[in-house]
Order: sequence, then structure tokens, then C-alpha cells
Amino acid sequence: MSNRTRMQTPNSLSAPQVYWDAGEMGCGELILQLKVRFQNLGPSEVFQLRADDGGAIEDIPAWCGMTGNTLLHQQHPNYWIQKKG
Amino acid sequence: MPGKFCVNLTRSKDDCDRATVGFVVANAALGSDKDTLVFLSTEGVRLAEHGYADDIHEAGFAPLKELMTNFLAAGGKIYVCSPCFKKRGLSETNLIPGTTIVGGAKLVEFLSDGAPCVSF
Repeated sequence: MSNRTRMQTPNSLSAPQVYWDAGEMGCGELILQLKVRFQNLGPSEVFQLRADDGGAIEDIPAWCGMTGNTLLHQQHPNYWIQKKG
Repeated sequence: MPGKFCVNLTRSKDDCDRATVGFVVANAALGSDKDTLVFLSTEGVRLAEHGYADDIHEAGFAPLKELMTNFLAAGGKIYVCSPCFKKRGLSETNLIPGTTIVGGAKLVEFLSDGAPCVSF
């Protein structure tokens, strides 16, 4: 997974401080790992996620809504999320 | 978004698919900042025994032991139905650390403010 090309961040967004390629991980496993990784982020830091699982298209916006983090941009399988301040 | 979420899990090796998906959903709830409880009842109580879940690996999912370990490490709660556990002759001395034997009142207490509960 780590050898795959990382998608470039759109010019309108701040460069993410952290990138995670979750591969095919999905559903609860993905969400719990995402939570753990966000615990190590500072307020307002931007996180770029790559999640190939098809469920991520709906799950990631829902997760952001529940946790108060901001989904800045999504272009499946890439997601740019800003941690709540 | 604070709140609670309960997964009532009634399966173990009699249905590894359901047992696994129950913990996958519980991990999704915990990861979404919910105060999350897995209530193991009927056949599900066997999962609380040390070593029982070690060889459960449903295709397409992470191994059940890994899902359970991650759940507990991230602060999830596992309650084990006391009468279900006793009637199967299981031993409290062999419980996975972090699991708690309870009666029905603890489940009712957790749900009493309207927390959602899904069953597998």
C-alpha cells in the first residue's frame, strides 16, 4: 500500500500534515483506526486519507458529521479531513 | 456528537459471520465517539472466554480477536450475560480482561436513556 502514488492535494486546500493509506480496510475497522489516528493530531490539522473500500464514500462524511471534524474535500478514494479546532 | 450505542451479540462459532460483523459495527460506533457497549448473550458469551475467539477469522474481515482487542483498547465495554454464561458451565476465571459479568439490570441501565441497540 505504501508504494502507491499519493494523490496531489487540490490547490484550494492546505497541504495535509498527515497521510494514511488504509488500503481496502473498511467499515468499523477503518473508522476505529481513523479515530485512533485523529487522537494524535493537533486541532485544525489536515489529514489526507486514502480508503479504497466502497463504503467509505458514505461512511467518511457520516463520521465527520458525528465527530465534528470537517470533510474539506472528497474524491474517492481520497478524503481531506480537518480535525475540529 | 455524544451518545451511546449498544450491540447485542448472540453468536459465536455457531455463526462466525454474525459474531464478526457485530464487533465490526461496534468498532464503527466507538470510532464515531459513541459510548459503546457490546452485550454478549446466549451463545455470544463464549467470546468472553480467553482464547475462544483466537481462531475465528471470517473471510473479508479482520480476525475477530483483533477486532475485540482493538475495541477494548479504544475504550469499548463488553458485558457478559451472567445466566447465559453460567448455564454453559463457563469459568469466570478464564474471562478476557476488560469484560464484565452482569445481570440484565446493567443492560437496562445502559439503555434506559433511549440508547439505540442493534442485535446480531
